[in-house]
Amino acid sequence: MSQEHRSNFEFVEQYDHRISHLGGQAEQYVHTDPDSCLFKLRLMVEMMARRLVELQAPRLGEMDLISILRSLEQYGMLPKKQADGMHAIRRDGNAAVHGSETPVPTAMRRLRDAHRISGWYCSMIQRGATVRPGQFVPPAGPAADEHALAMHKAAEALEDSIDERRQATRDSLLLFADEEDVPTEVHRIVSELEGLDRVAQAAGEPLVDAEFVAVVMAMEMEQLLEHPTLGLGTREAKREAEKQYRKIREGFELREAMYAEERRALMLHHQRELNDRRGRDGDGSSPKR
Amino acid sequence: MMQETLKHDDQADLARTWFVAARAMAVADGTVPAVKEASAGLYAQAILGLSEDDCRHAKSPERMKNQTLVDCLAAVHVLPADAAEKIMTGVMMIAFADGHMEPLEVRWASMLASACEMSDEDFQRCCASARVIASMFNPSMPPVDREEGS
Repeated sequence: MSQEHRSNFEFVEQYDHRISHLGGQAEQYVHTDPDSCLFKLRLMVEMMARRLVELQAPRLGEMDLISILRSLEQYGMLPKKQADGMHAIRRDGNAAVHGSETPVPTAMRRLRDAHRISGWYCSMIQRGATVRPGQFVPPAGPAADEHALAMHKAAEALEDSIDERRQATRDSLLLFADEEDVPTEVHRIVSELEGLDRVAQAAGEPLVDAEFVAVVMAMEMEQLLEHPTLGLGTREAKREAEKQYRKIREGFELREAMYAEERRALMLHHQRELNDRRGRDGDGSSPKR
Repeated sequence: MMQETLKHDDQADLARTWFVAARAMAVADGTVPAVKEASAGLYAQAILGLSEDDCRHAKSPERMKNQTLVDCLAAVHVLPADAAEKIMTGVMMIAFADGHMEPLEVRWASMLASACEMSDEDFQRCCASARVIASMFNPSMPPVDREEGS
């Protein structure tokens, strides 16, 4: 970092002094004490998360950092990219607290993440403000000898491979690939399901009919709702399962009624056409083409 | 089931069939709940025995392009009985994962069980196993991260 460029987190000062201060401290430690750098960054992320909760979801109350981040994600207040960076800082910060030695390149990566997250954070707490974080400038370190440079290089390569591995696992677990247009796919699948539903209504139920499936699912759902994971009482679980089953049944009945009505309308139309034709034939007029 | 003797050793096809079947159940209510999304991938690897590569490859545009639910029904129809049952169980696990059932979920389960030519008893057994697995999930789980950046 040049002499003029004092801190990557200077821009945060006007929005949140504490965050700016922690960012500056983390920068100072990145080369000399990477563990302390990560402590500061973790604290910074925690303070950001708590501030966001105060502003946007005070009902979430007192929780640990991981729960706060997950809740913010769940309620759509934390974009995935920022969440990713915050989780990485939390994870590495925790590892440092528990005695894992942090290499300088790892701390530098997290510092870069923190800089990116800070820009987003400022725009969140100061709605409408134009935040210009500027480009991240890696803090200059002491002149490294050959051995230190080789170690840094190895640590960078390790970080890259960890990131790659993590990404591969995540890609394999997700239902949709990153490049897919998920809303369009969801819409397409739902349309197809509705089509299958209409076919079943019109052409007759398949081998394992939907009514039977609904009964079995409701029975299993009742047991599931009673399970400690969901924690409903026996009566409550029964009521909830019955409610869901009733909703499904009503849906079937409604669609059946709609289908019957459609069929009735078609029959009426057909009958009317037949009568018209008979009337015309009776008048001796030839049918129009 | 009719196709007991058919050998289905193509893991890639199994992975694609699984992901189409799982997607249909997961999004039947028009959303992608996080708990369903996460459980689908875990099930593929832990129970169906698919590798990470199989799972990733199955979702590639060239494999997934133009795959319809009817294709999926045709694919499960020719699966060996044990593989079909595992898919059915996994799909029902996804249905149970959030503690709610929706009309199109019921329809998809009915279509899939019928395509597998399951008896009512087979289907009930799959549902019971699915419920046991689903009871291990936390339905308030947050969305899974999609983007790179850690």
